[in-house]
Amino acid sequence: MSVPYQTQRVAYPYFVIALLLFLLQVIVGTWLAFNYAVTIPQWLVDVFPFSTARAIHTNLLVLWILLGFMGTTYYMIPEECKRDLYSPKLAYFQLALLTGVGVTAIVGFLFGWTKGKPLLEIPFPLDYLVVVGALIFLFNVGITIIQARRWTVIQGSLFGGLVFLAVMYLFNLPYYNNLTIDWYYWWWVIHLWVEGAWELIAAALTAWILIKITSVPRETVEKWLYVELGLFLFTGITGTGHHYYWLGAPKYWLWFGGVFSALEPLPILLMVIDAGHYVRNRREEIKGKLIFTLATGMAVLHLIGAGFWGFLHTLPQINYYTHGSQVTVAHGHIAFFGAYVLLNLMFFYYAMPKLKGLSEFDERRGNLAFWWLSITMMLMTLAFSVAGVLQTYIERVMGMGYMTAQAQMRFWFAILVVLGVVLVIGVALTVVDLFTLRPAVPAERRAG
Amino acid sequence: MSWKTAKLIFYLGTLVSLLLFLGLTVDTHRQVETLTNADRLSPEVVAGKRVWHKYNCNDCHTILGFGSYYAPDMTKAYWRLGGEGIKAVVRNPEKFTTWRKMPRFPATDRELEDLVSFLKWTSEIDTNEWPPQDQKLRPVAGRAVALGLSPGATLFQEKGCFACHRLNETGGLVGPDLTRVGARLPYETIEKILTDPRSVKSDAIMPPTALSREETDALARFLAEMK
Repeated sequence: MSVPYQTQRVAYPYFVIALLLFLLQVIVGTWLAFNYAVTIPQWLVDVFPFSTARAIHTNLLVLWILLGFMGTTYYMIPEECKRDLYSPKLAYFQLALLTGVGVTAIVGFLFGWTKGKPLLEIPFPLDYLVVVGALIFLFNVGITIIQARRWTVIQGSLFGGLVFLAVMYLFNLPYYNNLTIDWYYWWWVIHLWVEGAWELIAAALTAWILIKITSVPRETVEKWLYVELGLFLFTGITGTGHHYYWLGAPKYWLWFGGVFSALEPLPILLMVIDAGHYVRNRREEIKGKLIFTLATGMAVLHLIGAGFWGFLHTLPQINYYTHGSQVTVAHGHIAFFGAYVLLNLMFFYYAMPKLKGLSEFDERRGNLAFWWLSITMMLMTLAFSVAGVLQTYIERVMGMGYMTAQAQMRFWFAILVVLGVVLVIGVALTVVDLFTLRPAVPAERRAG
Repeated sequence: MSWKTAKLIFYLGTLVSLLLFLGLTVDTHRQVETLTNADRLSPEVVAGKRVWHKYNCNDCHTILGFGSYYAPDMTKAYWRLGGEGIKAVVRNPEKFTTWRKMPRFPATDRELEDLVSFLKWTSEIDTNEWPPQDQKLRPVAGRAVALGLSPGATLFQEKGCFACHRLNETGGLVGPDLTRVGARLPYETIEKILTDPRSVKSDAIMPPTALSREETDALARFLAEMK
């Protein structure tokens, strides 16, 4: 079995580059944990400070997740529109442009070329090239959808999410003199990405995969997609307020942020219940056990990471003590992993075999990789959380010095270094597996 | 659930939240002027913010609780360290750090002055009393309530002694805890240390303070009373 439309093939190099960047991201992440646990000599700190490595770690994350989304969109749009992509050449050019910008930015960080704003360090004029890349992408996908003249809710959600994503990035371009306003709009990019635009994309892709693997009627899936998107946006948009408690904004954000963000787990919960419902009422056997495992894992960890760990410290009464501590780090890691890393991996495992012409593939290594990554990430989250609780108590509640707290947390960072290495091995396993997918071994031969 | 209800939830949910959010944003813009003392955003403060970005400070430190978590939050750094303390740390980070290091940046004197202006302005933002650990240092009418109101206590805070020394569980760990220093050292020795630390301890890393005679006297008297 191959892919129905030739232009779906443009997705493949997107996946390859995304996976390589993913591997690099976790290697740099482990180095960061090492910086927390061990004393780095001053000469090395002077040339390669933590700040540089952190900028690389987070930018690689954003870059590979977005390249994954873009590749995924290019794979899915022809099938959804029932026609070839408008311009494969443009898609390749866009990949080269964005990868070039990303690599230039990361090399630039090493030499201190930065905008100096966390997660959005990519400096001028590279940030404008990112916008150009995004516009090419939206143009290519948009024209394909328009020419197809076939409107589906999944398309709408996906394309809407992508436009939303691009528009929000624009708030990163001006220079804000007032630090409070600067951070106010920084969250329009970061929060409205991960709890707005990216959720729309994720919901659309998940719905599409569910239709593919369970053959549940599109009618039902799309109707519930409307409800989920409505809840995501209702809670997510005003939920941005949970970042506005302590930055010099009016006090009413404690109420709006607290109430709306407390409701944020609801749409995720609905998505999980919904997916479970489709699986139970499926019309035929599920095509691909690994995809099903990944989808389930994603739903559960999305709920745990974004939902539960987010809810834990979103109320102002708790956030007053946990804000900007390792509790935030714990939430960040499991939320990104559960919501967006597993989503990408699920799609890679769905699309890459088909792009290689495999109708069924050997899922054993992929299964191992899923459990390896998920368990390691869960343990990392627990270690970050213990460190975060220590920090919260010693520094914020007891009012002792920052470094006094860090000294008590050091042991947990040593654990995180070990877990980091384990995670790197897991990611390497995933990447190698996806690069060397093999046809499934028939059951009778395996038994013999 | 019917299609009609599903669509209604989508459009209504999105629209209500969006309008509410945009409305609050407009009002926030109005109130931020007061809450952040926007009238005090001098060219120096803005230049200092650019210094903050230039050296990527925010990818180790948090400010307003945002950024990276590798180094202390800088929102109220001016309360903790004072202007001189901030400059001293950036000039010679290796003297103020122990097992976790800060890079040496080639910041100019002009840049350091601007950075201090920026962090002073930042410390005055109304953050709903965040972060909790720095509230005890909150200055009242320019003086440190936590330390009483003596001129020596004010100098201790303003000249950045907290960067290295601790008083009542607050301050740095580089130099000795001074909570009961008056019980260990007499006024004369303290005064000598303040003028030239190496005249008392030959391997002292503490820099000589650039205080006037009156200031040295006030600070030494304050410390000598810490028994």
